[in-house]
Amino acid sequence: MAMPEPTAPEGAAFRAYREEVRKEWLDYNGHLNDASYAIALTRAHELLLEHLGLSAGYRESHQASMFTVEMHLAYVAEVNAGQVLTAATRVVEADHKRLRLRSELYADGVLAATGECLYLHVDTVAGHTAPLPADRQSAVDALLTAHAGLRT
Amino acid sequence: MSESPNRVTTPNEGRLAAVWDDRAEIAAPLRLHETTAPPEWMDYNGHMSESCYLLAFGDSADAFFRYIGIDEAYRAAGHSLYTSQTHLHHRREVALGEPLVMTLQVLDLDRRRVHIYHEMRHGETDDLIAMAEQLLVHVDMAAGRSDDMPADLHRHVAAIRDAHAVLPRPTVVGHPIAIRHDQ
Repeated sequence: MAMPEPTAPEGAAFRAYREEVRKEWLDYNGHLNDASYAIALTRAHELLLEHLGLSAGYRESHQASMFTVEMHLAYVAEVNAGQVLTAATRVVEADHKRLRLRSELYADGVLAATGECLYLHVDTVAGHTAPLPADRQSAVDALLTAHAGLRT
Repeated sequence: MSESPNRVTTPNEGRLAAVWDDRAEIAAPLRLHETTAPPEWMDYNGHMSESCYLLAFGDSADAFFRYIGIDEAYRAAGHSLYTSQTHLHHRREVALGEPLVMTLQVLDLDRRRVHIYHEMRHGETDDLIAMAEQLLVHVDMAAGRSDDMPADLHRHVAAIRDAHAVLPRPTVVGHPIAIRHDQ
C-alpha cells in the first residue's frame, strides 16, 4: 500500500479550511465516506482558488473558470463524526493555463488523507482552455514561488 | 449528497451478495450500475459536483462487492475492502437528469489488494464522461490493518481478472498527476 509519508503542518502552506465532519458525509459504519474526502478536498481547494481570485465571483466577472480534470486521493486514516477537518494546501505546479494543488487533510490534527487536483483554466463561453489573465497569473506564480520550498 | 439526510447510502444497501457460480460467464468489463444524475448532485453552475463522480463510482464498486461476495453480513463478520487510493479523471460535465452507465475492470490483485478501473459513460451517446482508478485493500476492521482475502473471495476476484485480461490496459492507469508540457 503506497502510504504517503505523514508530514507535520508547515507554516507557509495555505490553511484556511476548517470544518466539522457533517453527519451526511458518513457511511453505514459511521466513518467518513470515500467520496466525502473529496468534498473536503475540493472545499479546501476552493478557498485557495478564492484567495487567488479564481472562484465563483471570477466565473461571473470573467466568463472563465477553473475546471478539475484530475483528482488523486490517498486515504490514510478513518475519520469519525464530530472531528474537525483542516487542510494544508500548496501550489505545486502551474503554467499559463494549468494549476496543480496538493493538500494534506487532517482530522483533529492527525493526517487523514493526501490529495491532489489538476485544474484547467477554461473560457466558459468559448468552451476551451484559455491563458490566465496577467493579474491572476501573477498571483498564481507568487504562491508557486512561496510554496516551492515546502515538501510535496 | 444522498437520498438519506443522515448519511451516505448506496442503491444496493441491504441486498445480499450474489451466490458465486464458477461456470457463469463473466462480463468484460463488468456493467453493474447505472443511474440518472439527481438534483442533489448538481453544483451552483448546474453541473455535477466533483465528489459526486466518486459517489457514482462508489455505488458501482458496492455492486461489485456484492457480486464477489461482500455484503453487510460479510462486513459484520469483521472484514471489508477499503479504498486506499483513488485517481479520478474528468472528461466532460454532467447535467441534471443525464443517464450514466458505469463499467468496472479488474486490472490486478494479490492476496489482499485489488486494482480496479471504472468508466462512466453517457447512457445514450456512450460518450466517455469520467474514469477512476482505485486500489482496494482487504482489511481486518477490528485489528485496523490489512489482511489476506479468504480463499473464496480471492478466487472470485482472480476469475474476474482473468476474464478481463482480454481488455486493453486503460491509458490513464498508473500515472501520477502532472502538468505534461508536451501538450
